[in-house]
This record gives sequence, C-alpha cells and structure tokens, in this order.
Amino acid sequence: MTSTRLIDFKGYVFLAVLVAAVVIVPGLNLLLPADNPFHIPSYLVPLLGKYLTYALLALAVDLVWGYCGILSLGHGAFFALGGYAIGMHLMREIGPRGVYANPELPDFMVFLNLKELPVWWWGFDFFPYAALMVLLVPGALAFVFGWFAFRSRVTGVYLSIITQALTFALLLAFFRNDMIMGGNNGLTDFKDIFGIPLQTQGMRASLFALSALALGLGYLLCRYIVTSNFGKVLVAVRDQESRTRFLGYKVENYKLVVWVISAMMAGVAGALYVPQVGIINPGEFSPANSIEAVIWVAVGGRGTLVGAALGAVLVNFAKTWLTGAFPELWLFALGGLFVVVTLFLPKGIMGLIGSMDSVKAWTTRRRAVAKPAE
Amino acid sequence: MTLLRILLCLVALAGVARAAEPQAIFDRLASTKYDDIEAGVGDLATSGLPAAADALSAALDGRLLVAPGKPALFKTPMGTTIDVATNAPAAAGADAGLKPVRVNNRIRRAVATAIGTLTLMSPDARARLRAAESVFRGRDPETLPALDKALAAEKDERVLAAMRRAKAAITLTTDAPEADKVAAVGLVAERGDQDGLVLLRGLSETAPAAVKSAAASAIQAIETRQAMLARVQDVAYGVSLGSVLLLAAVGLAITFGVMGVINMAHGEMVMLGAYTTYLVQDLLRTFAPGLMEGSLAIAVPAAFLVAGAVGVAIERLVIRHLYGRPLETLLATFGISLMLQQAVRSIFGPSNREVSTPDWLSGSLDLFGLTLTWNRVAIVLFALAVFFALQLVLKKTTLGLQVRAVTQNRRMASSMGIRTDRIDALTFGLGSGVAGMAGVALSQIDNVSPNLGQGYIIDSFMVVVFGGVGNLWGTLVGALTIGVANKLLEPFAGAVLGKIILLVMIILFIQKRPRGLFALKGRFVDA
Amino acid sequence: MDQKISPELLYLNDVSVVFDGFRALNSLSLTIGEKEMRAIIGPNGAGKTTMMDVITGKTRPTVGTALFDGGVHDLTRLDEATIAGLGIGRKFQTPTVIENHDVETNVELALKADKGPFAKLFSRRTPQVQERIDEILERVRLKNARHRRAGDLSHGQKQWLEIGMLLAQEPKLLLVDEPAAGMTDAETADTAVLLREIAETRSVVVVEHDMIFVRDLDVKVTVLHEGSVLAEGSLDHVSSNERVIEVYLGR
Ligand SMILES: Nc1ncnc2c1ncn2[C@@H]1O[C@H](COP(=O)(O)OP(=O)(O)O)[C@@H](O)[C@H]1O
Ligand SMILES: [Mg+2]
Repeated sequence: MTSTRLIDFKGYVFLAVLVAAVVIVPGLNLLLPADNPFHIPSYLVPLLGKYLTYALLALAVDLVWGYCGILSLGHGAFFALGGYAIGMHLMREIGPRGVYANPELPDFMVFLNLKELPVWWWGFDFFPYAALMVLLVPGALAFVFGWFAFRSRVTGVYLSIITQALTFALLLAFFRNDMIMGGNNGLTDFKDIFGIPLQTQGMRASLFALSALALGLGYLLCRYIVTSNFGKVLVAVRDQESRTRFLGYKVENYKLVVWVISAMMAGVAGALYVPQVGIINPGEFSPANSIEAVIWVAVGGRGTLVGAALGAVLVNFAKTWLTGAFPELWLFALGGLFVVVTLFLPKGIMGLIGSMDSVKAWTTRRRAVAKPAE
Repeated sequence: MTLLRILLCLVALAGVARAAEPQAIFDRLASTKYDDIEAGVGDLATSGLPAAADALSAALDGRLLVAPGKPALFKTPMGTTIDVATNAPAAAGADAGLKPVRVNNRIRRAVATAIGTLTLMSPDARARLRAAESVFRGRDPETLPALDKALAAEKDERVLAAMRRAKAAITLTTDAPEADKVAAVGLVAERGDQDGLVLLRGLSETAPAAVKSAAASAIQAIETRQAMLARVQDVAYGVSLGSVLLLAAVGLAITFGVMGVINMAHGEMVMLGAYTTYLVQDLLRTFAPGLMEGSLAIAVPAAFLVAGAVGVAIERLVIRHLYGRPLETLLATFGISLMLQQAVRSIFGPSNREVSTPDWLSGSLDLFGLTLTWNRVAIVLFALAVFFALQLVLKKTTLGLQVRAVTQNRRMASSMGIRTDRIDALTFGLGSGVAGMAGVALSQIDNVSPNLGQGYIIDSFMVVVFGGVGNLWGTLVGALTIGVANKLLEPFAGAVLGKIILLVMIILFIQKRPRGLFALKGRFVDA
Repeated sequence: MDQKISPELLYLNDVSVVFDGFRALNSLSLTIGEKEMRAIIGPNGAGKTTMMDVITGKTRPTVGTALFDGGVHDLTRLDEATIAGLGIGRKFQTPTVIENHDVETNVELALKADKGPFAKLFSRRTPQVQERIDEILERVRLKNARHRRAGDLSHGQKQWLEIGMLLAQEPKLLLVDEPAAGMTDAETADTAVLLREIAETRSVVVVEHDMIFVRDLDVKVTVLHEGSVLAEGSLDHVSSNERVIEVYLGR
C-alpha cells in the first residue's frame, strides 16, 4: 500500500537532497578555487546533471511500470525524441558560425546539398516552439502508439516487445540521411543557448539546477498522480486488469493518460540531457538504452519513485566509475545486476530499506514485549 | 589492323605456324604508348605461344609483367610466376624490374576480343562458350570471319546457339540487309538478359524502321521478362532471408511459444553456435586438416550441445525461479545476454572471427537466369530440416509428448508422474540447442562477432509473435512471410525503410491480432 | 432506442457461444425481471460462467441477443466497463479483490461515480464518500478490517469484500458466481441472508453448486445443461424433474 500523503517521509528526504545538490554542486564549483579539496571540477557538473536527467527518465519508467504494470522497453525513444527536439533548436542557434557559414542551414544539411530548410525544421529557431515540441512529439507518438496498443488490449510481454520494436524502428529511421536529422552523426557541435555558450561554468551550473528542478517537479507530479484516485485505479489495473474493467473503468483510457504523461516526462529528461552532453545521435534509440533505464528502476525498487531516481543515479555512477577503471567488467556487472535484482531483490534498494524498517519495528516490539517480564 | 593480325593468327593456328619473334612482342607490350601495346596484344594473340591466352587474361588484372629486353612473365591467380615464352615456372626473382603492362579501356577491349577469338577454336566446349560470349560483348565486325569459321566447325548445340547470337550481334553493327538485321534482332532477343538489352537499346537511330520496331518489341519482351525475373529473384532472396529468420526464431518458438519463457539471451545462443563453429574449425585446422571439408557437419551437433548446455544451465540457475513472472524473466535473461556477450568478447576479442566456407558450399547455382549462392540454398534446406526434425521430436517422441503435456496442464502432468522441472530444463535446452545450430548456419553468411545475436533477437520475436505463439507452423509461415515481404519491399523502399515499414506493419498487425496469425485457442492461453 | 420495449431487466434470446466448434452455450434463452432473484444450477461445464461472460461483455456470443434494462441496451456491442457502468455487477468464481489496496480503497474504487480518468485525477476522498464506504463495510461486516491489506484477508472475508464492492457499484443486476465456494457452513448461511437482503432492492442471479445454499435462498431455480435451459421452477419442482435427476446423478 502506498502512502496517501502527497509528500511522505521519503519524499521529504528526496526533495531535501535535491535542494542540497542544487546549492552544493554549483556552489562548490563556482565559489571554491580549483585547488581547494572540496572544489567540484567543471567537467563533473554536467556529468552529475546527466545523472539527474536519467533519474527523471527513471521516474517516467517507474510511473508506468511500477504503478500500472506497463513494462516499457522503449522509453529511450521518448527520451531521444525530446533530446532531438532541443538539439534541433541548438543547431539553429549555431547560425552562420558553422563550418560552411550558412546562416540558415546547419552544416550537415549543406553537406547533403540541401537548398532550404526542411518543413519539420521550421520554427525550431524559436525556443518556446522547440520547448513545446519537447512535450508534444513524444506525447503524440505515445498517444498514437498507446491508442492502438491499449485499445486492442496488448499487454504484458507482448506490449514490452512491441515497445522495443518501436524504438528499434526509430533507431533505423534516424540513421537514415533522408530523415535530415543528422543521420549517423546526429546533432552536435552546439554553441550556445539564449546566446550564452554551453561551455561556461554558469551555464553548466544553471543546467544542473534546471535538471534538479525538473526532477523535483517530476517527482511531485508523479506523487500527485499516484496518490490521487487515478493512482488507485492504476494500481488496480496493474494487479487485476480484468477485474478493474468489471468495476466500470475503461482501462485503456487510464493507461493512455499515464502513458502519455510518462512519455512527456521522458521527453523533458532528454531535452535537459542533450545540452549537458553536447550531442544527440540515433544511438540513443537503441533498445539496450531503454532496457538499462528499466534496470535502474528495478535496482532502486519499482513502484517507489524515490527508488527509481536513486537507482538511476547509483547505477550510472557505477557505470562511469567501472567503464573508466575496469571497462571489461562493466557489462558483467550490469548483466549481473539484472539477474541479482530480479532473483534476490525484487523490491530493490527501497525494499531493503523497507525491510530494515520492519526489522526495527520487530525488534522494538520484542523489546516492548520483553519489558514486563523484567 | 590488330584484328587483321589476329585473323592471320587464326589462319596460322589452323595451318601453317607463323609467329613474330617473342621478344619483339614483349618489347612492344612494354612500351608506354598505347598504340604499341595494342599492336603487341595482337601479336601475342597470333604468336602461337601456348601461354598466349593465359598471358592475355593476366594482362587485364595487371598480372602480366614486362620490361624492354627482358622475358615477359605472368602470375597465375594462385601467385606462381610463369614465363610467357616457355610456359614454365620462372626462376625466383626473375620478376625484378618488371612492370605490369599498361592497360586502358582500349587495350582492355583489344585484349578481350583477342582472347575471345583465340579461344573460339579451343577444344574445351566451355572455353568456346565463353569466347562466344566475349565476341558477343565485343561485337567487333573484324571477328566475323573467325566466328564464321568457328561456326562451321561447331558441333555443340549450346555453343552453336551462343555463336549464332554473337554473329547476330555483329550483324546489327554492320550494314547488312534489313531482313538479316530483323532476324538478328530476334536472335539477340533470345538471350533475354541485360547484355541483349544493352545491345538492342544501343541500336543506332539510323537503323531501318523494320529493325527498329522489331528491336522495340524485343526490348519490351526482355524488359517484362527481366522485371518478372527480378521479382522471382526477390522472392528467392526473401525465402532465403525467411529461412534465416526461421532458423533464428524456431528455437524461440519453443522457449517462448511453448514454454512461455521470454529469453532475451536467445540471440546469444545463436552467437554461441557461431563461435562453436569457429572453434571446431580452429581445432580441425590444427589437429585434423583433412576433416576441414566436414567441419560444419561436426559443428552442428557441437553447437547444439554447447548452446543446449548453456540453456539448461540458465534454466536451472535463473529462469526456474521466475516462472509465472514473465517481465522479470525478460529482464534477467537480458542481463544474461549482456554477460554472455562480454564473456565472448573477453575470450575471443571484439573483432570478427573468420569462419571459412567449405568448398562444396561456395559458388552459386544458376537457375533460369536466377543466381543463388550455394550457402543460401543450403541454409534454406537446413532450416527446413531443422524445422521438420523439431516437429518430429515434439510430435513423436516421449519427450515431445511430455513437453506438450506440461505446457497444456502443468498440474495434471505433474500428478501423472511427469517430472515437470526436468521437462522444463530439457525443453529450454532443446530450444537453446536449436538456436546454437542456427548459429552454425549464420556463421556462413554473417560476421561472427559478439554482437551477432543482437541482430536477430527482435526479428525472431517478431516472427514468433506474428506467427502465433505456441504454434511451430505459425513460425514457419511467419518467417517466410516476413522474409519475402522484406525483400519485396526493398526495391521500392530501400533496405532500411523497407525494414521500418515491415516493423510498423507487424506492430499494427499484433495490435489487431494480439495472438498472432495462428493463434492457439482455448482457455489456458487467457491465463 | 431509449424506449423500454419489454418489462424484463435482462433478456437473453437464442444465445450461442462456440469455442473451436464446441458449443459452450447452445441457444440459451433466459429472462430476469426487475428485483427478481434467481438461482442457476447445473453440472460443471454447463456454461454458467460463460453465460455471465456474455452478459458482462467478456465474451461475445456467436449468435443471439442480449438486452438489458427493458431492451434499451444491446449488451453484445458494449465493452465490460460500459456494461458495468449500466448497472451490472459481477462477482467472480474465485474472489478477485485488489490485493495491494486496503479494504476501504477496494470499496472506494467500486463506488458508483464518474469513472473517467480525468475525473479521478482531480478527486480525493470526501466525507460523503467515507460515509458510503462505512455503510457498506458495516453491511459486509468488515468494519474492523477496513485498513487491512485486502490480500491479507481470509478467503471468506475476500468473498464478502467482493460482495461489498458489488454493493458499492449500486448495480441493477448482480451476478454472483458460486459465492459459497470455500466458505464455512456459518459463513454460507450468512451469505444467503445477505444476498436475500440485497435482492430486496435489485435483481440478483446466483450460480451455485451447493444445494443447501440454494434451498436457503428459496427462489426460482433455472437448471442449465450443455449450454441451454433444462428446467425452470422452484427447487422442489426441478429436483423432481426426471431429466435433471438423470443429469445430476448420471445415467
Ligand atoms: N475461452 C474458452 N475456450 C474454450 N472453451 C471454453 C472457453 N470458456 C469456456 N469453455 C468451455 O465451455 C464450457 C462451459 O464452461 P463454463 O461456462 O465455465 O461452465 P460452468 O461455469 O457451468 O462450469 C466448458 O466445457 C469449458 O471448457
Ligand atoms: Mg463456472
């Protein structure tokens, strides 16, 4: 049973940690001199920011998987689409500073011998439009996909497999040069946003803070959803889909709503990710990415939200460290994680913490029982 | 005028030998002027040297080595060096200072025609056939007398027909009477292939109206035929792709379709099979090179055992604890697939491993203008063999009976004394082993790398789900349908877009019929 | 068609359901009146559950008519949720409650209300809702278990919770599949009383094997066999029917 308060104890801790990160990370980076042992080097700021965007993606996955039982193996697609939307804006921002100095066309289009901007690139120079697309493109794709899938009652592993096929199809599509989305190389060589270079310390700190803000808001949105009556229906759908229909709920509509919201969250995560890593390419659509996002949630504990975010940060921290120190070991570790978590830790880290709670409760009860005997 | 010389040569071949001094010819060939070289080519053809034909064809790929004042040498495709004058292996180091004969398109053409005419009279019928073909392509009027002569002497029907067509081709370039030309168009059209088409299309604007209209209708006929042939070829490629898919998917049809276990490491079972093939060949090469030709026959059972054993281990260690939790199974087996990939990468390295194709599988089969490589044909046959063997196992053996019993009603089967956990392990091992055998076949047409399996997993799932879970026939039909549809779409949409269209169509199809083409009906599938 | 064309609440005519050539229902015709209570008995595989599947939209009949509310609604064209919304509640053979929710929430989810996603997104539990929940829990005697996880309830308690959820739906027609299965004798008797009470305000169809339970209900009985009606009438009447005896006791 999930707690029904909007923000429970875990939530307060989570939000407090986020606030602290917003203060500490940019603070230690901007205010302390580089030789101070507490100084956070500039390259670390976008790296940590990237973890936060992954955490937001994990929240999106947990919302549909943990609370509605939809195991998406294609959320990376929504993440990547959000990323491409902002990437298109950043490409337009380069303006005439590209290698070919074309004021209108990004370099790769000049290279493809294009004479004018393709229709689907129109408007992306205008930031609010791009920001809207960050939500609308993943949202629309999720809507169309979900409309068909949920109405025809595709569930369980079948649904998982077609979500995987969806992201795989997009992977193939974005590799094509005729998509005019940068093909193989994707979109990169970004210069600035709002006229401020992406590489400045201030910009990096702002993007970090923005990611933390988005994560916090995403968390609150998810909490609002899962503690509402809507959320109770979602859990009913997850545990007893058919029964829920007989209670009078049009299950497909519930799934569709939560699916679209989740896709949009993933899109926002992708949009914050791209300016921090400086590139978006078709590789982001690869099915393996989406499955990795699922394991973050599983590691943290599905259906807990905080756990999902925690899992994303921990797994990615381990990834950064291992791929640097022992690159051979990373895939063994990741693969092992999948097996160990599903076999031995079905409730993830939050489950562990929870069972520690119950151990505590158990010992205090024992003490209470033991007392009169003294 | 070169050709005149060649003609003279032919006369010479038929009767009195007459030859220029070999060294003079070689010097001409060593010249930097193309005119001289062209003359040299003609001289070589008329020289009567036994090595002339080989030397001329060597010239085409830069294997004919010359230098002024030195004996000319040529290298065989195998790499041995032969002295042109003596047709015997040259001494080591004899090629020092020699350079390949310079060739441009004009020389190339001269050489081709020279070879063609040289071999028109060869005692080997296949060589004559090739020569006739080359005359057809060269269609040099100057070859006509030689051709006529060869025609008169020819007995072999096929060669005769080819020579007649070659003659027709030449006729079309000369100012022969209109009626002859119309007849020639008919002869050329008989070929019905690209070369004939090129020739007919190239007919000059000034050709008489009757010839033109005959050519036009011939072109039309050939084009229709070729378009049909292209479709048939597409279908053949589709069947070939379909059987690759069938091989990859049929193991999955057992683990997923029959047992309901989502094995994301299925592709890695295929990969293990391919690496087993590599290992088998490696061992044979060192210990029993004589058995190399049979390496695949050894690799098939070996791959079955290796992948099957890994499958049983996975089932015992992991999957068994996850029955009834398909989504968790999916995640755990995905983890296993990552570990298997990395294990193989650590052991064998990240790059592709070379798996050789036995001679009996190289080359290709020509069937009414269709070209099918032998290894593709073999894969189709192998896939069908595996499929029917599997059907047999499931339908006729005790194991198969027990498998079906367990999948239909586990509780009942168990109470009848079937050891369901053993059956689970064996079934999973069977599905994995079949995937391993697929790996042997795929090692013949795909790169053997740690990522081999990744390329097949999504396709395999699509096939099984499309065909209908729990139904092997569905898998067969599904694989062939997807394979053929893919290849038929490719010419219109391109490979990538074709694949995307297909994926989208399958997604839509699954949403219309979530249980696939051949859905199992009954209550137990609802659970 | 908004006009009631017949007085019956439920009207099944000539309904057949064919699975792979097997007739689970064979020209079944049946009517249930307003506020009527009906017991349906029949050997295993007679098609009782399949009949409920047809009425609630889970299974589409191969042929036949299924009308609700005096012929106003064609049940063969509506989905489960819509049918539930029209006022047909169903209790399954095996009790199915939402195990991870507490007892209160289970009842809350069932309560008659706007069940669209957006309505639910912006609503929380109000005092009136709490009152309704209390009322129902009182009735199914689960007041003391209100905060327990539904999955932790005993089998009998789950059956009662499910009946409570049906009441919360305020259906016009209630379909109850083998409610006494797995209950103690005392619980069975209690259930019969509760069902009779419920039937005072709405129609109830009870499928049951347990003859003592059916006798307790004391209502008109329909005997189903091989997908069609074999006999209809009071329990004494049908149990003296030769063919019924034959079917029940074997030839
Ligand atoms: N989905 C289905 N597919 C195939 N057969 C079914 C299906 N549903 C029910 N049946 C068959 O229909 C018959 C009637 O079943 P059911 O309605 O459950 O009987 P009852 O509830 O009276 O015991 C049974 O023989 C059952 O096997
Ligand atoms: Mg029943």
